[in-house]
Amino acid sequence: MADHQNPPITALATPWGSSAIAVIRCSGLGAIELVDRIFLPAGKLASAAANSVHHGFLVDPDSRVRLDEVMVVLLRAPGSYTGEDTVEVMCHGSTAGIQRILALLLAIGFRQAEPGEFTLRAFMAGKLDLTRAEAVNEIVSARTAESHEMALQRLSGALEQRINAIKARLVTLLAAVDIQLDYPEEDSGEVVIAPEAVVEVRDKIRELLASYRTGRIYQQGVRVAIAGRTNAGKSSLFNELLRQDRSIVSETAGTTRDYIESTIALAGVPVRLYDTAGFRDSSERVETEGMRRSREILDAADLVLYVIDAGEGVHDSEPAMLQQLRESGRLVGVWNKIDLPAAGAHAAPHGFAAVSLNTGQGLPQLIELICERILPASLTWNGEPVIDSLRQKQLLEAADSALGHVLEGLAMQIPVDAVALDVEEALHSLGAITGEVTTEDVLSAMFAGFCVGK
Amino acid sequence: MTAARRGGDNSGWMDFDVIVVGGGHAGIEAALAVARLDFSVLMITQNLDCIGKLSCNPAIGGLAKGNMVREIDALGGEMGRLIDATMIQFRVLNRSRGPAVQAPRAQADKLAYQTLAKKTLEQQKNLCIFQDTAVDFILDSAGHEIRGIVTERGRRFHAAKVIVTTGTFLNGRIYIGEFSMPAGRLGEPAARGLEQGLSRVGFKLGRLKTGTPARVHRDSLDFSRMEPQFGDQDIVPFSFSYDSVDRPRLPCYITFTNQETHRVLAENMHRSPLYSGRIVGHGARYCPSIEDKVVKFPDRSRHQIFVEPEGLQTAEMYLNGVSTSMPEDVQQRFIHTIAGMEHAWIMRPGYAVEYDYIDPSQLYPSLECKMVRGLYVAGQTIGSSGYEEAAGQGLMAGINAARALQRKEPLILSRAEAYIGVMIDDLVTLGTEEPYRMFTSRAEHRLSLRHDSSDMRLVEIGREVGLVTDRYYQRFVAKRVGVEEIKELLRKRRVAETDVSALRALQLGGNFELDSSLGKTFYQLLKVPEIAMIHLAAVDRSLAEPRPIEWLRQVELDVKYEGYVARQDRQVDRFQRMERMKIPADFDYNALSGISNESREKFKRIRPLSIGQASRISGVRNSDIAILMVSLGRWAKQAG
Repeated sequence: MADHQNPPITALATPWGSSAIAVIRCSGLGAIELVDRIFLPAGKLASAAANSVHHGFLVDPDSRVRLDEVMVVLLRAPGSYTGEDTVEVMCHGSTAGIQRILALLLAIGFRQAEPGEFTLRAFMAGKLDLTRAEAVNEIVSARTAESHEMALQRLSGALEQRINAIKARLVTLLAAVDIQLDYPEEDSGEVVIAPEAVVEVRDKIRELLASYRTGRIYQQGVRVAIAGRTNAGKSSLFNELLRQDRSIVSETAGTTRDYIESTIALAGVPVRLYDTAGFRDSSERVETEGMRRSREILDAADLVLYVIDAGEGVHDSEPAMLQQLRESGRLVGVWNKIDLPAAGAHAAPHGFAAVSLNTGQGLPQLIELICERILPASLTWNGEPVIDSLRQKQLLEAADSALGHVLEGLAMQIPVDAVALDVEEALHSLGAITGEVTTEDVLSAMFAGFCVGK
Repeated sequence: MTAARRGGDNSGWMDFDVIVVGGGHAGIEAALAVARLDFSVLMITQNLDCIGKLSCNPAIGGLAKGNMVREIDALGGEMGRLIDATMIQFRVLNRSRGPAVQAPRAQADKLAYQTLAKKTLEQQKNLCIFQDTAVDFILDSAGHEIRGIVTERGRRFHAAKVIVTTGTFLNGRIYIGEFSMPAGRLGEPAARGLEQGLSRVGFKLGRLKTGTPARVHRDSLDFSRMEPQFGDQDIVPFSFSYDSVDRPRLPCYITFTNQETHRVLAENMHRSPLYSGRIVGHGARYCPSIEDKVVKFPDRSRHQIFVEPEGLQTAEMYLNGVSTSMPEDVQQRFIHTIAGMEHAWIMRPGYAVEYDYIDPSQLYPSLECKMVRGLYVAGQTIGSSGYEEAAGQGLMAGINAARALQRKEPLILSRAEAYIGVMIDDLVTLGTEEPYRMFTSRAEHRLSLRHDSSDMRLVEIGREVGLVTDRYYQRFVAKRVGVEEIKELLRKRRVAETDVSALRALQLGGNFELDSSLGKTFYQLLKVPEIAMIHLAAVDRSLAEPRPIEWLRQVELDVKYEGYVARQDRQVDRFQRMERMKIPADFDYNALSGISNESREKFKRIRPLSIGQASRISGVRNSDIAILMVSLGRWAKQAG
């Protein structure tokens, strides 16, 4: 048996960049022996048992220089992710250090892994099927607990069960048609496909389709931009929202006149939050550039928190933009500084939330409003399987459309033997989701989507 | 062609390109195909008088089977013309249903059919017929290639290819109650010996069983107690060679079994060889004997019987629906309980026949066996059932034996092209445990496999093979052009006021608002359920004249089902993509560590030619197919 005959490959399994610890995965024929050659204490890995962890040093065999102090996880075929001998090296996460270790691994015989190659090998070793391989990608990129949970559910086959239940209904419809196909009209009664039964199945498909938005929001998150004139209180709102989530993932500082960006979780949804440069009339060049970028961010945002200073009221330049945001359904209006005496002089525009970011007055209501707008109650995850890949969505849409043809055919008095063709089409699409039907497109799409090292 | 090869000299050194063993429906098509492709062929059969016999029911065609007969014709086979010339009743089944499930069926004059079959063989250039029984094969010294056959009388015939079409005769044994004897048909000895030859070649043999009902004398029946069933007035010929045939139209009769019939059968069940355990072979679930029906459907109070004439020159009537292997006294008693048959005189009893068959998964889709080059097997010998199934396989085996001699790639029809393709793919991919009968539901792309479109699907292929004559091909091209012309006329012709009133005069009924059709094209109008081509032709005579009715029907189906055909075509494209992913003959399944052992063993045994075929092997996991695809695809390189 040509088990684990694949040449050894390696790649950084953690994101590229400085961090406390980085993991470099090495897998394939001779992976353990190869790493052993650069590991101190010498010979320890080659003789080590499967599923063991070892402390030691990586050493350049020529110069005898110690590159790093590492922990090594050793897995032997077939009990690893890829089904091959695997060594996972946990080293310090400096980019220079990682580069030196990778260069050394390549020098002693490893090849740089292609995108998705570890998962491809796992797949080829029969370790995971397509839907599960797809889920792996999403677990890896899950950014909140909820999106992680959804992907895990997929990995356990919950979506598959739900789709199989839908398929079973369609198979029953077809079985009745098959009897009619094989017996002449004298011997068997006329089989009819009840439109109600088809509608029922289609509704179930549409339910799942609707879950795509839910899945998408949890998986991909939303972009929220804070906008308004300078000094309206944008930065205060930005900081207030940051305080809502203690597990801030990253923060990129722009120039003070550009924008600030951060990723937070609100209502379990990953939120990419932007504090944009304030709008004001300015001929200063940098300022104009900053405002152009602000515009771009606003255009790309799913939600815009527009802050207006209640003391200043709505500026002449603002109604047009507010109107545009309102029409696109992306506006959350924030009527700030209601605690100031001048606030009473102006009326808040329709739908604006009155708040004082200074005193905290109205803040809980505002947060609640923002959460509701990010994730409407109808899209909140109820624990049922959801779809979150475009591929699944397209296949469900194809099934939905095929059942539409079925209903159309029945209405047009097309004989069931022809209508059955569309029922079969719907079944085919559903089968492609659960991996029962495999096409080239699926395979190429699957393995093109992976990042190196996953 | 030398005199020796022509077979003028019966001495032992004679040499043929191909030998066909058996003169049944598979053998006839195989021998004719080979001879027409200009190779010398010897047909060896046990009894020249039994060539082309309809052993069981006196009918050709039926659901899915009728489609195959027309497919055979489009490829250049003979069955369609044989039945056209000898039919005594014609019907299109399922006229009330959709086009995908309609099929032609004809009652045959049995004797006329077999006489014409034999005459056709006799008149065929390059074809010799010889009465003897093949008992063994001659192989090359390594045992890997066929060289010829040895007969019962010790004759040795050499040939480069041998096609075995022995039907139910291989080690056949018939059963009538407690009585049993070696025989292929009642009164005809079994073929013995060749089963050992097949075993030596490496074939796994199994036992199958089939049966036939009693034949009764027409004059002993009371037709006034039965319901006559007449055929269609319009006969659609099976063959695309001509527009019409003029044949007699005899009625069949319908009657039913009753509770008393079932009681007689139930009381004597212990005397049935099926239930006493004497018959071990598997029968077809779909074509059960009457005793099977009584046991398996105890709730049915009656079963339908079609009483069918066996020919113009005989008084024998066939009792379709009461196939049996009961003892003769029980047969007589239960038949006499049936309305109209109270005094029926049984001329031949029903019987069951059990015979050896070989596992068809040991054949390639070309019907050549995997163990010995040049040895082909077709028909009931590889587990099928039915004349049409046998003929379809025989034709393909004949074509492929000839193509091998021509050093051409074998012709393998896909499941999307022909029922014949579906059948052979099923047999060689899945094997069979019971007599394999063709069914509409076995085909995935039924709408593409309509009987009336057989010529559009297959004539070009038959032409390329070399079996379609010039005249036939010209007719086909004229039809293809003509159908497109009519469609073009329909696209150009717009509905005028006068058309609306003319259509209204036809009183079509339905919910359709005629006024709304004003200004639309006739093409669009034809898509309305209530509107048929004949209505449009009635409004505008120029559409119909001087065109054959079949062309109009073709146009109507094409237009009405346009959307469906387009969607089916997309499914077919998808299907063909998998078929086109070829698996090299020497592919090393051992190198795929991730697939299950069960799948690996099946892949190695079946040796699928494509990913498509591999995916149809039963019990193979989907993920194993995906792994196979990846290992064959461009991703394999990345995997190293």
